[in-house]
Amino acid sequence: MSIWKYLFNLEERRNWWMRKMPDCPLRDYYEVDFPDKDSDWRQVDYIAVDYETTGLDQKNDQILSIGYTTVRGSRIYLDEAVHILTKPTVDIPESSAVVHGILDDQAARAKPIEEALPILLSALAGKVMLAHHAAIEYHFLSNACRYLYGYPFIGPVVDTLALEVRSFRNRDKAIQAGDLRLAAARARYGLPRYPAHNALTDAIAAGELFLAQVAYREGKRQPRLKDLTVIS
Amino acid sequence: MDIELLEIRDFLAAHHPFDQLPTDALSALPAKLQIRYFRRDSTIPESGNLNNDLYLVRTGAVELRDTEGELLARLGEGDVCGYRTSSYDELAEHHGSAIEDTLIYQLPAKEVDDLCLRYPPFAYFFVSEGGNRRRDAFSNIGQADSAQVNQMTVPIGDIIHKAPISMPPTATIRETAEVMSNERVSSILIADAGGALLGIVTDRDLRGRVVAKALDYNLPIAEIMTRSPLTVDIDDYAFEAQLMMARQNIHHLPVMNGERVAGMLTATDLTKHHTTSAVYLVSDIFKQTQIESLQEISAKVPQLLLSLASAEATADSAGHVITAVTDAITTRLLQLAEQKLGAPPVPYAWIAAGSQARNEQTAKSDQDNCMIIDDGYDEKLHGEYFRELARFVCDGLDACGYIYCPGEMMAITDQWRQPLKTWKRYFHKWIEQPEPKALMLTCVFFDLRCIYGEKNLFRDIREYLLQKTRGNRIFLAYMAGNALSHQPPLGFFRNFVLIKGGEHDHTFDMKHTGIVPIVDLARVYALAAGSEAVNTLSRLEAVAEGGEVSENGARDLRDALEFVSAIRIEHQAKQIRAGLKADNFMSPDDLSHFERNQLKDAFAVVRTMQNVLSQRYQR
Repeated sequence: MSIWKYLFNLEERRNWWMRKMPDCPLRDYYEVDFPDKDSDWRQVDYIAVDYETTGLDQKNDQILSIGYTTVRGSRIYLDEAVHILTKPTVDIPESSAVVHGILDDQAARAKPIEEALPILLSALAGKVMLAHHAAIEYHFLSNACRYLYGYPFIGPVVDTLALEVRSFRNRDKAIQAGDLRLAAARARYGLPRYPAHNALTDAIAAGELFLAQVAYREGKRQPRLKDLTVIS
Repeated sequence: MDIELLEIRDFLAAHHPFDQLPTDALSALPAKLQIRYFRRDSTIPESGNLNNDLYLVRTGAVELRDTEGELLARLGEGDVCGYRTSSYDELAEHHGSAIEDTLIYQLPAKEVDDLCLRYPPFAYFFVSEGGNRRRDAFSNIGQADSAQVNQMTVPIGDIIHKAPISMPPTATIRETAEVMSNERVSSILIADAGGALLGIVTDRDLRGRVVAKALDYNLPIAEIMTRSPLTVDIDDYAFEAQLMMARQNIHHLPVMNGERVAGMLTATDLTKHHTTSAVYLVSDIFKQTQIESLQEISAKVPQLLLSLASAEATADSAGHVITAVTDAITTRLLQLAEQKLGAPPVPYAWIAAGSQARNEQTAKSDQDNCMIIDDGYDEKLHGEYFRELARFVCDGLDACGYIYCPGEMMAITDQWRQPLKTWKRYFHKWIEQPEPKALMLTCVFFDLRCIYGEKNLFRDIREYLLQKTRGNRIFLAYMAGNALSHQPPLGFFRNFVLIKGGEHDHTFDMKHTGIVPIVDLARVYALAAGSEAVNTLSRLEAVAEGGEVSENGARDLRDALEFVSAIRIEHQAKQIRAGLKADNFMSPDDLSHFERNQLKDAFAVVRTMQNVLSQRYQR
């Protein structure tokens, strides 16, 4: 499928999926235009998002919690912050419970993924997904969409990890192991240390990192959205 | 959908004024915030209009400058600026810039208003007029009236009236309780037939050691008494007893007269007792004939300060009480000197200068004094007498802990022990041909109070100088310049004191940056108005009536002085308690966030009034 993204741009693919798809929350998402890639970055809304999952295998692991909040006009709006626990269809492996602290009995009180996903999709409509190492968030979401609705998720994405790689390259600096971790990247911009592995805290942490990265971009002109997104 | 913003909530909970909010309000607050990031050396875009939001520094540092680029404040982690944080509207027009990479939490004005409406302790921080905020804080600090202060210097023997109520150790618990009940006392002494103290029993003991343990009431009382309790002597001062109670957290002290029990002193006795003057410690001073015994009494001054602090006396009344002791010691030394040297050949007046004259002494004061001698003075005939007299008194004061003034502003120097006509010449020169440097040294002589001797000599010189200073714009311009030489700091930044121009200091000199600027301002006002008042608060009161300074300005300065002085007394009391020598240097670490904010306000008042003064006299 990846050949399509060289033949058609994101907006064209959005239209394609929208025409193909039956009525479902994903179709509602596709009905809203993607933000204009030539916009000043401050004119665009971003959803800084993070999940905790049962593991890192996108095909088989499942989402345990979703945290997201809005970034708009170089501010993070915490009044739009959301944290949802989602119910996995498998037991939580002990190895991942150690990391994120979500236990089976907590997860049992959570929403099933078919209730949680529409909330996230409606938040993302018309906005840009923002995450650190966004490929994980993107693919977990896309797989969940395929599983629930039979179609993949696409959308514009800002990846703070990719922005960090660019910043290293622009300064001709070699990247050492661990340099690109969220906490390490934040420390370079004087951002505080947060306890990791709560989806919402990590989402906010990524949002703050994004604000710092844009503030530190060289050049007088404010970047456009396309200067910040990853190609997808 | 539960929102988990614990990290941000915990940060808010650790910082004033958000620490004043109840848990539920605190938990709801993070969701109302916006987060912003400013890279090092960038300007906050809303600069010039910071009044629409409250800004809280999460990490990093921000500088505020006025429209002319003058540094006004530097904010570090946990500091706030913007909406309603300043009593001065102009502050909203200030320019903020990040001097480090800075993460800001921003709360919209309407949310601040809403919280203020619902939570008075939070609103306290935000009252629109800085003066109110300070005044409220001060009224929390010093409520003690003078009667409460004066009772400190009373000997315990004068407070206890009733004969001691005591029981033999063989009496039963029930009998003892009956006696206590009949006599309406909350404690009772257990003494043997000879009157020697064995123990003490209080209501609390009956409750805790008898009733709660279901002990047999017919057991002898000796079973439950507190053996060999702490005692005080009948001749000790009440403040010593009060300190002992405070330190040991006890409310009853048996009073001993030698080996025999003289009575019982309770915490209630201390608070109930009122006397009209602080004459006791002072009258003791007048019974002494030896420098050594005066030394012993003056050694109690730090303890006196401690008791004043624990009685929450106002700084003003504490200053008066402490100075009264100095006055008494000075007077007694002069009497002793006259006994030794004979009656003075010509009249003279012993004049206190500086803080003693202003009734503003604390535990750490050096001596400033001078002597005005009648114009009949002849150096050849009388010089020796007055030299000896001054040496005796100044040495005596030094021995009593009032160390020699480093600037030598003392009657022991020939220069400051002169006949009236010479003093008039001095003042004529200082006032008519002012020199900045000379004024800096001699301004201490513009605060004068007669301690002993011929009062008319003092009245003469006071009238002479006030009539020269009243409305004398040239002289006042010089005095104003002098008053501006001590600038209060801008506030605190992290654990540093922020000084204008952005330099840091590790400790905050409460005397020179907090108190002296206000004292100097009040002196200029008083001299301009020709007011006889010398005490700074009295001066500010007098000049506000006369219109030399606005009533609000005078009131704000009085509040600021009382607040800084109260902090200083607390600081010195803490040092004395720790067995250290009292000083004026305080580390910002020792201030609570609340006190830092209050101090910042007090400094702002002083800076404003200094600007007003400089515009009035220096243009």
